[in-house]
Amino acid sequence: MTLIREPGPAPAPPGRRLPSATVWLTLAVLAAAHVLAWQGTGFSLTALAQGWRGMASFLGDALPPDFDWETVLQPSLKAAAVTLYIGLLGTTLSIPFALVLAVLAARVTAYGTTSYQAARSLLSFLRSVPDVVFALIFVTAVGLGPFAGVLALVVHNTGVMGKLWAEAMEESDPGPREAMRVLGASRLQTALHAVLPTVLPQLVGLLLYRFDVNVRASLVLGLVGAGGIGFLINQSIKLFRFDQMATHILVVLVLVIAVDQLSALIRRRIAP
Amino acid sequence: MTLRVRGLRKEFGGRTVLDGLDLDVAPGEFTAVLGANGSGKSTALRCVVGLETPTAGEIEVDGRAAMVFQKIHLVGRRSALDNVCAGALARLPLRRSLSPLLFPRTLREEAMACLDRVGLADRAAEPASRLSGGQQQRVAIARALCQRSTLLLADEPVSALDPKAAEQVVALLAALALDGLAVVAVLHQPSLARHHAGRIVGLLDGRLDLDAPASAVTDHDVDRLYAPDRAAVPAE
Repeated sequence: MTLIREPGPAPAPPGRRLPSATVWLTLAVLAAAHVLAWQGTGFSLTALAQGWRGMASFLGDALPPDFDWETVLQPSLKAAAVTLYIGLLGTTLSIPFALVLAVLAARVTAYGTTSYQAARSLLSFLRSVPDVVFALIFVTAVGLGPFAGVLALVVHNTGVMGKLWAEAMEESDPGPREAMRVLGASRLQTALHAVLPTVLPQLVGLLLYRFDVNVRASLVLGLVGAGGIGFLINQSIKLFRFDQMATHILVVLVLVIAVDQLSALIRRRIAP
Repeated sequence: MTLRVRGLRKEFGGRTVLDGLDLDVAPGEFTAVLGANGSGKSTALRCVVGLETPTAGEIEVDGRAAMVFQKIHLVGRRSALDNVCAGALARLPLRRSLSPLLFPRTLREEAMACLDRVGLADRAAEPASRLSGGQQQRVAIARALCQRSTLLLADEPVSALDPKAAEQVVALLAALALDGLAVVAVLHQPSLARHHAGRIVGLLDGRLDLDAPASAVTDHDVDRLYAPDRAAVPAE
């Protein structure tokens, strides 16, 4: 091969490659799935257009929101704080469980096939049972109220965060792990001195993301009796006080935006 | 001999990367390994430290083998000293090894001496990621010293460094060999190898093709290892 040559036209570029049969087949299957889904969910734009009156009267009842301090706004803010507390404890109390399970369930730190499979199965189970179902179960044990909500979030969040953390560890730079292997470190030492310090920013980022999600999840838990502002929203709907519901929803909006901004701020600070 | 390799073979999915390599390295000897990409240099080193399992052959190390890498592989958030201390993980009691906060004082002193040996005692408290590439590679070498190794393998330790830092690191490897350490370093700069190493070995298609005192190696020897039309020769 020579890199120095006479000036002259370069060879013609190779012809364009058309998408393969596999690509066309995948697109056809996707299109068919959408047709089935359209029918299966009773998707109908005409029904939506004909029903506009219902939505309009609902909005008419909701506006203007009822901002009475004594009866609406103050209870709303107090309940929003409870929602925030549920999300906070539901996230932080799951850290130790999620960490242990993540280390066992990440291929790069796992101890053996049995504990790896067991940890992965447990995480899948905790993740696939919705937090609302866990809340209903805990309500039967500890009664209605925020405590049941905290327990439900701890259990469900362990499953989700453990899985996300395990994935972050698996995607960590293999270099420091190799260095640990060469110097004879054990698997636990490798996890503690190579994997965890390397992925710490990612783990904290995922933790903040889960906090964000859990605060919103604790709203829904309120709807099934786990306290907080979700409970007040449910109550105001049942009493047809849509103007009070509007106030609660505005408070929720402020809360969600505040949590989102806070976690974004922290994530920027810890970025690697 | 600190390192004794006999008939080392390694195949990856039917492709032969090492084809019966023999190599002896004595204490205090600085051996530079040259060879084109794919000639098996890295694989040979990785087999010696156990990162790859040889298909066949014997490897004996008298003492402990340590390795430094082209991409250095320190933990950037941890201090230089904590990174060096990690070299001792295998000999620490488990409960003292779980966190840098638990490392014994004697270990921190030993690690400090290792950092001093590579000329970085004054940067001990800095996070490794704040050091320059050359300094990071010297911290990695200090970590290998803290491992109390008798054999130091270096896989392209200076390929990612600027010429001045590269010169410093290779000179450091030569100085450590004078202390009695056996050093085997894959280098892609024949001039550095000839200037600092005592011995140069060349790999060609997974075999030892050149083995001579550095002073006796000619330009022609080096050119043959990297000959671009080598691929035209049918492989056996």
